[in-house]
Amino acid sequence: MRTHPGSPPEPSTPPPAIEIRGLCKSFGNKDVLSSIDLDVAPGEVVCVIGPSGSGKSTLLRCVSLLETPSAGRVVVNGTEVTAAEVDIDRVRRGVGMVFQHFNLFPHLTVLGNLTLAQRRVLRRGRKEAERVARENLDRVGLADRADDYPARLSGGQQQRVAIARALSMEPRLMLFDEPTSALDPELVGEVLAVMRRLALDGMTMMVVTHEMGFARQVADRVVFMDAGTVIEEGGPAQVLEAPRHERTRRFLSRLLDPLTVPGPARTRQEPAPAR
Amino acid sequence: MGITEGTRAAEAAGTPYTVSPAAARRRTLLRAGSYAVPAAVVLLAVLTADRARLADQFARLSLAGTMFPEVLTVALLNTVLYTAGGFVFGLVLGLGIAVMRLSGVRLYRWLAMAYIEVFRGLPALLVFVFVGVGVPLAFPGVHFPGGVYGQVTFALGLVAAAYMAETIRAGIEAVPRGQWEAARSLGMSHGRALVSVVAPQAFRIVVPPLTNELILLFKDSSLVLFLGVTLQDRELTKFGQDMASASANTTPIVVAGCCYLLITVPLSVLVRRLERRNHRMR
Repeated sequence: MRTHPGSPPEPSTPPPAIEIRGLCKSFGNKDVLSSIDLDVAPGEVVCVIGPSGSGKSTLLRCVSLLETPSAGRVVVNGTEVTAAEVDIDRVRRGVGMVFQHFNLFPHLTVLGNLTLAQRRVLRRGRKEAERVARENLDRVGLADRADDYPARLSGGQQQRVAIARALSMEPRLMLFDEPTSALDPELVGEVLAVMRRLALDGMTMMVVTHEMGFARQVADRVVFMDAGTVIEEGGPAQVLEAPRHERTRRFLSRLLDPLTVPGPARTRQEPAPAR
Repeated sequence: MGITEGTRAAEAAGTPYTVSPAAARRRTLLRAGSYAVPAAVVLLAVLTADRARLADQFARLSLAGTMFPEVLTVALLNTVLYTAGGFVFGLVLGLGIAVMRLSGVRLYRWLAMAYIEVFRGLPALLVFVFVGVGVPLAFPGVHFPGGVYGQVTFALGLVAAAYMAETIRAGIEAVPRGQWEAARSLGMSHGRALVSVVAPQAFRIVVPPLTNELILLFKDSSLVLFLGVTLQDRELTKFGQDMASASANTTPIVVAGCCYLLITVPLSVLVRRLERRNHRMR
């Protein structure tokens, strides 16, 4: 089923954009990921959900090698990134990464943020880099903020700039690590709207998120993780509305009703004792 | 207003919010005393001092006049040149040591740490004597390029590099990890990320402490006194000392001191302003 890197993709089964096999990651003696298998097809939008500490961010960071996997294989755009001799800088050019805390460069203007890597890494000329940058700013609806410094922008605007910055490298694949978790609630929508448009344009996306609405509407596939393993995966309707696994059900019900006390007594109906 | 009325009512009622009249009197006395006592001390000093003798000893204008223009064109100029040399040499060396200190190679980290510990642990004077006396004895016939200027640059730079390396390292480490990650995710190499993303931000953090270091160097340049310098190589302290012993009067020392303050006070005002600016940006 898998084609060799470099060979033309077969029309029936294109090689996956991301192929993860037996991925393990431990920090010290704490296992964060244990034997993860996951594929993301080109053009597919995969949302990874799960409780905090379930390893979903670590999984994403292993794909861009911000974390070094302890064991297993990760293949991105046909290149095995876990191979010893891989040129990781070259692989990362094809992978856009969006962080929870935006990580814009505060000493550069918005335009500077978008052109720096284009010029230094892709060796584009100033004119070409600025043209691409303005195109992508327009795409996220911030064409008029090119000359502002990041500190002047709202959180939602900063995150949209961060998305435009990643897009300016013309990646084949975008990774989102809880892109809306650090935002005020009223700013979440503008970022999700940009991401949805990106998905409709056919971008391959892997999104770690707590936004179930986004997962339901935009994802082709939802992956539920807990305690470092994939518990279940499938279409958003199946995983979010008819989860097969008890742990998925428990997680989702807690999201819908955050006041539910986790633990074995969760079915108890009687009111809490007065303090 | 309701609040004021309430307060008055509370005062009238003698609630715990009001101070007793005795305590209020004590507070007034204390405040008056804290001005009156220093004023009395100053007054006493002025009245008892032999003002004519003091003025002649510390501020003999005719003597001060003879110091010009050399105190500026030779002494202050040399002080500035020595400081600048030491600062630039120390900055370059310190930058290298800071990068070694953060290196992935344990040997480099160890070497950098050893350097920092040695030169922070030694008196600057000892380093000056070592460079000025020890090195010429150990390598006879070898002359420092630039003569005294080269020696001072080298000695000051050696000491300054240890402090600057630690300052620069702290500055680089103060840049959030997310900045590295964002830069690397865009395909930049480690070196490129350091130069284009981390260093510019670290620079803003380290400018105030490095300016402080410049002030310290400015003062430490006086240690050249112990190298045995020619008339043309004298800096402020040596110049003032020579004139003071020639004239058996303290005025030259006072003038030299004022020249130091002429540079250091504006610099420290600048540091405070930079620190405030950095603080606002956080």
